[in-house]
Amino acid sequence: MPLVTVDGQQIEVEPGATIIQAADRLGVEIPRFCYHPDLRPEGNCRMCLVQVEGFARLVVACATPVTDGMVVSSPHTSAETAEAVQGVLEFLLINHPLDCPICDQAGECSLQDFYMHPDYGLHTSQVDVVEKVRKRKRIELGPRIVLDSERCVMCSRCVRFSADISGLAELQFIHRGNRVELIAFEDRALEDPYAGNLADLCPVGALTSRDFRFRRRVWHLAHTDSVCAGCSTGCNLRIDHAENRIERLVPRRNPAVNSSWICDEGRLSYLRANGPDRLSQPLLSGGEEVAWPDGIRHAQELLATDDASGTRPLLALASASATNESLLLFKHLVTRAFPHHRLDFRLSQETDLVGARQDHLLRRWDKHPNTMGAFYLGFSEQPGGLDDYLQAAEAGDCVALVLLYYPPLVGDELPPVAAALARLLELCPHSVVLTTHRLPYLKGASLSLPVAAWAEEEGTYTNYQGTVQHSAKATEPPGAAREATAVLADLLHTFTNHRPSTAPEVLFAELEHTVAAYRGLDYQHLPSRLASVYPPEGRMHYGEEGFSGR
Amino acid sequence: MTRILTRHTDQPDQVQLDVARRGGAYQGFEAALSRSRQEVIQEVEASGLRGRGGAGFPTGRKWSFIHPAPDRPVYLLCNADESEPGTFKDHYLLKRDPHLVLEGIAIAAYAIGAHKAYLYLRGEYASLAMVMAGAIEQAKAAGILGDSCLGSGYGLRVSIQLGAGAYICGEETGLIQSLEGRRAYPRVRPPFPASAGFLDQPTVVNNVETLANLPWIMTEGADRYAGVGTGRSAGTKLVSLSGQVSRPGVYEVTMGRPLLQFLNEEGGGMPPGRQLKAVIPGGTSVPILSADEAAGVTIDYESMQAAGTMLGSGGMIAFDDTAQMPPALLRIAEFYAHESCGECTPCREGTGWMAWVLKRLLAGEGRVNDLDLLLRTGDNMEGRTICGLGDAAVQPVQSFIRKFRPEFEALLPPAPDPSPPWQRHGHGPRSARMGPPAVEAALSEPVEGPPTASL
Repeated sequence: MPLVTVDGQQIEVEPGATIIQAADRLGVEIPRFCYHPDLRPEGNCRMCLVQVEGFARLVVACATPVTDGMVVSSPHTSAETAEAVQGVLEFLLINHPLDCPICDQAGECSLQDFYMHPDYGLHTSQVDVVEKVRKRKRIELGPRIVLDSERCVMCSRCVRFSADISGLAELQFIHRGNRVELIAFEDRALEDPYAGNLADLCPVGALTSRDFRFRRRVWHLAHTDSVCAGCSTGCNLRIDHAENRIERLVPRRNPAVNSSWICDEGRLSYLRANGPDRLSQPLLSGGEEVAWPDGIRHAQELLATDDASGTRPLLALASASATNESLLLFKHLVTRAFPHHRLDFRLSQETDLVGARQDHLLRRWDKHPNTMGAFYLGFSEQPGGLDDYLQAAEAGDCVALVLLYYPPLVGDELPPVAAALARLLELCPHSVVLTTHRLPYLKGASLSLPVAAWAEEEGTYTNYQGTVQHSAKATEPPGAAREATAVLADLLHTFTNHRPSTAPEVLFAELEHTVAAYRGLDYQHLPSRLASVYPPEGRMHYGEEGFSGR
Repeated sequence: MTRILTRHTDQPDQVQLDVARRGGAYQGFEAALSRSRQEVIQEVEASGLRGRGGAGFPTGRKWSFIHPAPDRPVYLLCNADESEPGTFKDHYLLKRDPHLVLEGIAIAAYAIGAHKAYLYLRGEYASLAMVMAGAIEQAKAAGILGDSCLGSGYGLRVSIQLGAGAYICGEETGLIQSLEGRRAYPRVRPPFPASAGFLDQPTVVNNVETLANLPWIMTEGADRYAGVGTGRSAGTKLVSLSGQVSRPGVYEVTMGRPLLQFLNEEGGGMPPGRQLKAVIPGGTSVPILSADEAAGVTIDYESMQAAGTMLGSGGMIAFDDTAQMPPALLRIAEFYAHESCGECTPCREGTGWMAWVLKRLLAGEGRVNDLDLLLRTGDNMEGRTICGLGDAAVQPVQSFIRKFRPEFEALLPPAPDPSPPWQRHGHGPRSARMGPPAVEAALSEPVEGPPTASL
C-alpha cells in the first residue's frame, strides 16, 4: 500500500488512488471544480494543482496516482501552489459575469468559496476587462434545469454525468478557446430522469434548478440528513428546509446506495408532503373533525366491537412506507390487543418488486421505502395481502380494519390498489385509518387519524438491499397530525393499559434485539449517517464571523 | 550532403508506385520484414532518430514502450495534422513522395506490432487525401499492404482520416480523441498513449517526417544514419522556410548546419538592402531568436536548446529589419486564442486574454503595466495546462516581449502624471488613456509581419 504525505500528514492508500483521494481522506481540502468522486477524472480545471517533491512541474491532484513515498504540498502549505491556484482563479474570473447578487448559486458556489479562501484566494485582479466574452443566458433545458453559459467554468462535470452516468449524452461543448459554450443539442429539453443532479454537480451557477431557483437564499436553509422514501432504493439525501417548509432535497454521497445521485422524482417527492391536501385533524366518517382524545376514544369504540362468535379476525394492514419503528408498535398493538387478527403490509406486488430496477441507475419499481423492513418484521403471511383481505371481507370474514397508510411519494397510488382499499373500507363494518392525506379512496373510513408524513417523523427504513437507514425529522407535521408512533402508543395505552416509549432509539433497540437481520446495529451509527454531501460545502472560511445571512 | 527525405521529391510521377519502386521504394520495408520486431526497434534506437513533430523524443524509445498482448491490438497513428504556423514540410513529403511516407508507416507498424494504421490528415490537406489514398490503393494492389505484406505473413491495413481544421488535433491525445470521433480535448497523462491510446489500446503517434526517415535507416543502416548530423541530432531535418527571405520553401538540411548560412544560401538571404532582424526557428510556438542570437546557432536540437529555443517542427520564419514585432505577435497570439481547444482553464482564458491585451496595446489603449501583465499571464499558463498548447502559446509572447521590449514599450501610454490634477494642464483622464504619438505613427505604416497565408 503506497504511503503518501500530504501537507505533513501521512496516509496509506490503495494502489491506483489519486492524490486528491488521499487528501480528501486526510481532510486536506484541495480546491477543485472538475473533479468529482463519482465521475471519471478529466483534469481540466487545473484548480487542484499540487506540488510533489521531485516533480519538475505542478501536477493535478485529481488525475495523478499516488506512488509510495510521495510528498505532496497543497496550496495551504506551498506558496508556489497557492500562486498557481490563484492564477487559475484569476483566469476563471476574466470572463465570469460576477453576478453573484442575482445568482442562485451564491452561498454554495465553489468559485465564490475559493475566491474567499485566505490561502489562495482574495487576489486583487490585474485583469481589467472592458468587454467580457458574451454567451447565452437563461436557457431552459427541460423542466428541471436552467443554463447560464456565462457563469460556466467548463469543468465538464455535467457533460460527463450525462454521457457516463445517465448515459443519454445530452450535453456537449461547442466552439473553442474562451468561446467554449455548453449546449444541449438544439436546446432540446433534457429527457434525463436524473437531470436534477446537474444542478447539484455544477460547482457554479451555470446549471441551476428550476424548482428551487429564487425560492430561498441558501444560507437561510437548515439542513437535515435523511434518506429518500420515494422507492425501495433509499437514496441518501439532505433535506433543506426553512420555516417548517421543505425547500429542496439534494443527494448525499453514499457509494453503497446511490453514489452522489438521486432521481428527479425523488428530488421532488417533498412536494407531496408540502401539499394542501394534508389531513390535519382526526376525522369521523361523517366529515366531523374531532380532537385527539375523542379520536382515540372513537378508535377504541370502533375496534373493541365484540365479535360474538370470536372467529372473525381484525384485519390489520400497515403499508411498507411506515418506518420500522411505527411497524413495530403497529405489530404490538395488533398482536397484544386483538388475539384474533391478521397482519400484513402488501398492497400489491411489493415483495416481488422490491429489488426490481426501473432503470440502470437508481429507480426501483417498488415505491415503498421499507418493504424489506416490513418483511423482516413478519408482516406477511401466506396467503395474505390486500387482495386476500378483500376476499375475506367480501365473505364477511372481518370484524374491523386497522390501516396505516401512506400515499406513495413518487407517482400516484396504483388504481387497482386504490380501488381495493376503497372497497375494503366499504365492506369492513368498522375501520380506523392512520394516514397523512385526505385521499378520495380512503373516504370510507369510519375514523381517519392524521399522522406525520416522511420528513416529519424520525425512524428507520430498510432498503431493497436490507440496509437499515436513518430517516430524519426536518419539519413539524401540519395541524394536529402526530407521528404514527405517538398515535400507536396512545392506542396501545388505550387497549393494553401499557404505554410504550416512542423514542426512536428505544424502539430501534428493541428491533435490534428481536429481528435477526438487525443484530448488532447501532441506531446512532447507521451507515446512512456517514453519507456526505458532494461537493463538500460549509467548510470554507469566511473569516471569524462567517455568513449569517442577516 | 546526404539526402534522406528528398531524394525523390523532384522525380516526376513519384506518386506512381512503379516509378517510386524504381527509386527503391519499399526496399526498407522489405528489409524490416526480414528482421524481428525487436531488431527493427533496436536499429531505429541505434540510429538516434528523434521525433520530427516538434518534441524531439527518441523514436525507438517511444516504440519500446509498446507491449503487445494478444487481446490488446496495437495502433500506429501517423500525425499528418501539420498545423503549426510556418510549417509545411509534411505537406511537401505527402504530396511529392507519398510512398515514402507509406513505407515509413509500414515499417513503424511492423516494429510495434500494429496491424492497423491511420493517417490522420489535416482537413485543409484534403487534396493530399486523394494522393495518399491512391498510394495506399497501389500498395494494396501490389501486395505491399494487406493481409500478407510482401508475402511475409505480416498483415497491415492503412486508413486515412481527415481532420476538420483544428490545431489541437495535432496534439497526440487530441488526435486520438478526434480519431475516436470525440471532441479533440487532449487527455490527461497518465495513462500515456503507449498503454492506453486509441480506443484505450496501446498506440504510437509518429509525425510524417519521422516516419519518412525509416526506409533509409532500414536500407542504409543505423550507423550510417547516426553518422549524418551532429551529436544527439542524427540525420537531416526538413525546414519549411518562410518570411522575409528571398527563396522561401522546403529544404532538407543536415543537422548541425549553421542557421545563418542556411538562411543566406538556401534561403537566398534577406531582400536587397535589408538585414535579418529575428528568426523563429521551429514554428511559432518556439521562442524567437534575435539576429544576434541566431548568429551562433546551428540547426539541431542541442544548439537550439542552448540558445533558449527549440528546433520544433522546423517551421522557420525570418523577419527583416522592416518587420514590426508587436503586430506580428498579435497575429500569432490571435492564432493561439482562436485555436485553444478550451478544455483547461489557463490556456482557454489565458490565450484569449493575451490576445486581447495585445490588441488594445496596438489600438493605443494599453495600460502602463500591460507588458508585465502579459509576462505574468504567461507565467500562470506555462506548465499548468493539460497539453503543450498552453506552453506553445506562451513562448512567442514572452520571447517577443523580452527580446523586443522597446518596440512594445513605445506603444504604452505615459506613466500617470504624479502631480495633483489641479496642477495638470489639459490632460484629462481621457487623453491620458490615449497612446503616445508613436502608436499612431506605428499604426499608420503598413504592417509587415510574417506571411499571414501560412499563419
